[in-house]
Amino acid sequence: MTLGEREQDAIRSVLAGLEGDVDVKLELGPTATPVTLLAAGGREIDSNALTQEIVEAVCALSDRVSLSVVEHEEPGPWPRTTIGAGLEYLGMPAGYELTTLVHGILEAGRAAPALSDATLERLAAIDEDVAIDVYVTPT
Amino acid sequence: MLLAYKLALASPRVTARAIEASEFAVDADRHGVHAVPAIVVDASYAWAGTVPEAAFVERVLAARGS
Repeated sequence: MTLGEREQDAIRSVLAGLEGDVDVKLELGPTATPVTLLAAGGREIDSNALTQEIVEAVCALSDRVSLSVVEHEEPGPWPRTTIGAGLEYLGMPAGYELTTLVHGILEAGRAAPALSDATLERLAAIDEDVAIDVYVTPT
Repeated sequence: MLLAYKLALASPRVTARAIEASEFAVDADRHGVHAVPAIVVDASYAWAGTVPEAAFVERVLAARGS
């Protein structure tokens, strides 16, 4: 079991706040820049398999969340989870980053952005595309 | 990370990705990431650490030269 009962209850409670349906797309395949990931004890981690377990387990906790899984043969930035219209998570959303996945789904399912009026005004003035990448770790 | 997602949801001009630094170590190294969370704007390292919403927006806009 990827998620314990307490985690499932907590996630189910968060996702109960969804105001709309959210599509989640999980893309799996060989990574373009392979690295060896080790769990405590030295066991090697299969990022694709663990990510699929986590994402499937989370999406199963709400009827408002639909999951599709795509398997790629060509190397790329996999595993990649796309939430809603384009929020991306590259890699395993494990550990502390489980929160990013769950709350990313929640935010994507909001009827209106949960931001201050001042922030919305600043965003409305942007006239060029902006790409924000946030590097994170599970611990 | 959630702030970046919120900005992307609020503006069609903004895209946001979370990238697991251990799995994408080559990309992290290329951008000079040494601590997380590290924010990279338009493929250029911007800063590391969490900041309040207003500061986050201002730093993102400053990083892209607005």
